[in-house]
Amino acid sequence: MNTQSVLCGSEVPVSDQPTIEAVLAGDQAAWDALVTRFTGPLWSAVRAYDLSPADAADAVQGTWLRLLESLHTIRDPDRIGPWLFTTAKREASLLRRRHRGERLVADPVDTGHARSTPADAGHVHADPALAVLTADESRRLWQAVDEMHEPCRSLFRLMATAPDAGVHQLAGRLGMPSGSYGPTRGRCLNRLRTMLTTREATP
Amino acid sequence: MTRHPTTIDDESLIAALRLASGSDPVPAQVTAAARAVFGLRLPGATTARSVVTPVPQGVRSAEGPRLLKFVAAELTVELEVTSLDGLVDLAGQISPCPEAGTLVEIRTPHLTESRALSPTGRFAVTGLPPGWFSVVCHRPEDLPVVTSWTRIRP
Repeated sequence: MNTQSVLCGSEVPVSDQPTIEAVLAGDQAAWDALVTRFTGPLWSAVRAYDLSPADAADAVQGTWLRLLESLHTIRDPDRIGPWLFTTAKREASLLRRRHRGERLVADPVDTGHARSTPADAGHVHADPALAVLTADESRRLWQAVDEMHEPCRSLFRLMATAPDAGVHQLAGRLGMPSGSYGPTRGRCLNRLRTMLTTREATP
Repeated sequence: MTRHPTTIDDESLIAALRLASGSDPVPAQVTAAARAVFGLRLPGATTARSVVTPVPQGVRSAEGPRLLKFVAAELTVELEVTSLDGLVDLAGQISPCPEAGTLVEIRTPHLTESRALSPTGRFAVTGLPPGWFSVVCHRPEDLPVVTSWTRIRP
């Protein structure tokens, strides 16, 4: 497991107030610091929506463009992370939906989104998506996976290490019919969630 | 950091597993593009936000142009979007019609096209790459107005 790539941990407090002030003042280096900290987790977040590398790149770039136009309304550094994740997940989910009907459309733009989200993200660490994307949480997740029974353990390992494998291919490698992959994955994810909840209750 | 694993959605769990496995690294061009985005900032500009335009009833296919409308306090940008051979054409109308000397820029992360406005506030640009774009209205006497970034895919 390569924890080097996990840059979103609370142990790397990059998006502090001076950084944000510098970004607002036009400092490219400060912006680069934000990019360095968040692009990895954002990439993982949008790829989890089964987006191709091209679509995922589009979603991540869109997220940064939105931050650029909304930055002055999100001056609180603690809100930047939750805001980025909310925005990225929304872009990714729009793109995934679009795959079901390819045609020339503009995605429904941020009607109310850019304005309401900074306020919503006021609960700083309330976004579980952000909480789970920290180094600590990721290690906890994999510890839990290692304790799981088959097929969940293999399913998660395959899913994580073969990000571009399709459902058919993943199902084949797990020796199950393609139609079973989705429901099995759903059950495994629920089980993983339950395990984490139980651990939370009994530290 | 507060933890709420009970409410983590599937995608976030998957993202966390992938992130920690290190098997899906960020492509270099994604990071480079994120850095380059900063060059597109327009300090002081007013953002024109998208408003929902009614879709003509019974229209299901993508054959006709798509209409977009962006509204700021002082002006409205309307865009008609069509696509040919995988590229995007935009025809725009700014209202109320701005003063003489107003310049419009159509920006994508990769290129910027400038257009002078017609006397009635119209402009057009053809052959844009699909993806993100934004329209900037540079006025001689006022700060610029810029439409919210929008993604178009043929």
